[in-house]
Amino acid sequence: MLELRGITKIYNPGEITEMTLFRDFGLIVADGEFVSVVGSNGSGKTSMLNIICGSIPVEKGQILIGGKDITKVPEYKRYASIGRVYQNPALGTCPTLTILENLSLADNKGRSYGLARGVDKARIDAYREQLAVLGLGLEDKLHVKAGALSGGQRQAVALLMSTMTPIDFLILDEHTAALDPKTAEIIMALTDRIVREKHITAIMVTHNLRYAVEYGTRLLMMHKGQIVLDRSGKRKEETTVSDLLGLFNEISVECGN
Amino acid sequence: MLFLGTTIDGLQMGLCFAVLALGVYISYSILDFPDLSVDGTFPLGGVCCTIFMLRLGLPPLLAVFLSFFVGMLAGTVTGLLHVRFRISKLLSGIIVMTALLSVNLALTKLLTQNGYTTTIFSYRSESLEGLFDNTFLERWLGEGTKDYAILIILILIVVVLKIIVDLFLKTKMGYLLRATGDNEKLVVSLGRDAGTYKILGIAIANGFTAVSGALYAQLYTQYDNTSGSGKVVQALASVIIGLAVFSGLRFMKGTTSVIFGSVFYSLCLNYLVLVDSDGIYLKLWNAVMFMLILIFNGKISAFLSRRSRAEKKGGLPHA
Repeated sequence: MLELRGITKIYNPGEITEMTLFRDFGLIVADGEFVSVVGSNGSGKTSMLNIICGSIPVEKGQILIGGKDITKVPEYKRYASIGRVYQNPALGTCPTLTILENLSLADNKGRSYGLARGVDKARIDAYREQLAVLGLGLEDKLHVKAGALSGGQRQAVALLMSTMTPIDFLILDEHTAALDPKTAEIIMALTDRIVREKHITAIMVTHNLRYAVEYGTRLLMMHKGQIVLDRSGKRKEETTVSDLLGLFNEISVECGN
Repeated sequence: MLFLGTTIDGLQMGLCFAVLALGVYISYSILDFPDLSVDGTFPLGGVCCTIFMLRLGLPPLLAVFLSFFVGMLAGTVTGLLHVRFRISKLLSGIIVMTALLSVNLALTKLLTQNGYTTTIFSYRSESLEGLFDNTFLERWLGEGTKDYAILIILILIVVVLKIIVDLFLKTKMGYLLRATGDNEKLVVSLGRDAGTYKILGIAIANGFTAVSGALYAQLYTQYDNTSGSGKVVQALASVIIGLAVFSGLRFMKGTTSVIFGSVFYSLCLNYLVLVDSDGIYLKLWNAVMFMLILIFNGKISAFLSRRSRAEKKGGLPHA
């Protein structure tokens, strides 16, 4: 279980540009939930993910995983149980390493990075199989540098890499936003399958309302650092894209847009 | 005869500095860290190697080996300044380089107290019996190799070090090091502290720099406190020219490219000295060559990669 308790986040404290994003923000995500998060720009979606992962500090409040307070745990240690895919496909892979080297690197997560040979030859077939499932023809490109791949191919590899070793949480930060519609569809279906098969608790930020409605077990809408909509179970299934659009428009009118 | 001598001198220098280039390849090319502390670590390696041999009476090869760790220590300081205290890359290097100027002077004192002259050791004197006075090659390959003995030993050392670097970059730790320079976020999301690996990489790079300095001191059987000045420029030029010229050739590894880059650069410098016998303009040549390389960098590699692809195509009918 993941819990954010009484989070206060202030950007540029003490300066003219000071901006309070979260004030006493709270969220509980149960194990096995697949949460889709939507909201306008600046509503705090990505900040929330960054707070969970420890990429940015908080002014007040606690972050708990399984009841354990991890607020002071540094970012890199939190990733022991968290996988993350970014919006920018370049952030999920190493451009100068080949696909094989990238996968080997990710496969070793949680173990020591010593002076043993980087690629475990016995695993190559397994990698090839996992790549073949993607249907992007990557299984024949094991020795191609990741930097030479297209955005969609890189994002697919990044998704594989982030879920290769056992993790409890998967953080998806608009991970289909930079892809063309068809590739986005493939990546989204792949995400859904991995999350189901591996029983990972996932939090996905997206601007695609259809994905938010179609995928996941729970739907959040955020606005100005607050959760304005939280639906799960049957109520989530009944939610349609037009419901969300309606709510979006309401919020925008309030803002005077 | 003068030309041949100059060529051999240039090759020796180039191979000696190839070790430095391997280090700077790790810091500059792999970690994207233009490390200025090199100017201080190079003479540090030289003076420590000299102390190990003269004061402690250690065998020359062991002295070189130990210099590596002294260099690593200096590199660790640079890395710590940048990673833990968030000082910019360039300034961390400058701080360590400046501090090392004094450290090197102080270390040189250790030598004077023992009654040796500070900088110049006479050729093949008993006091500095270097790595390059070994005679085993003569025994192996006969009298004829005597003139080239230094060259052969240098080639052996450089090849061994190159293979070690290549192998290291293929280990898990090596992958993570390359990832650190490429994409720090990925290293963090693998649950590792990218800062630690940055420090490690800078330390290794400076270790190689110190080894280069140690070899240099043994090659010329002298230690000179000013030997570090301009080494950053020279090493960067070697790395950039190596990667620019040879990156078009796909089969060549980065480490091999920078070694050739270093040799090429030293040869050019040595031929220039033929023209400018005073050596007054040496640093100017250094700077001008570096400038030309930076200006023409993209064009050379584009030209070469076009050629190598064209050759490949031309070769197809035979295959």
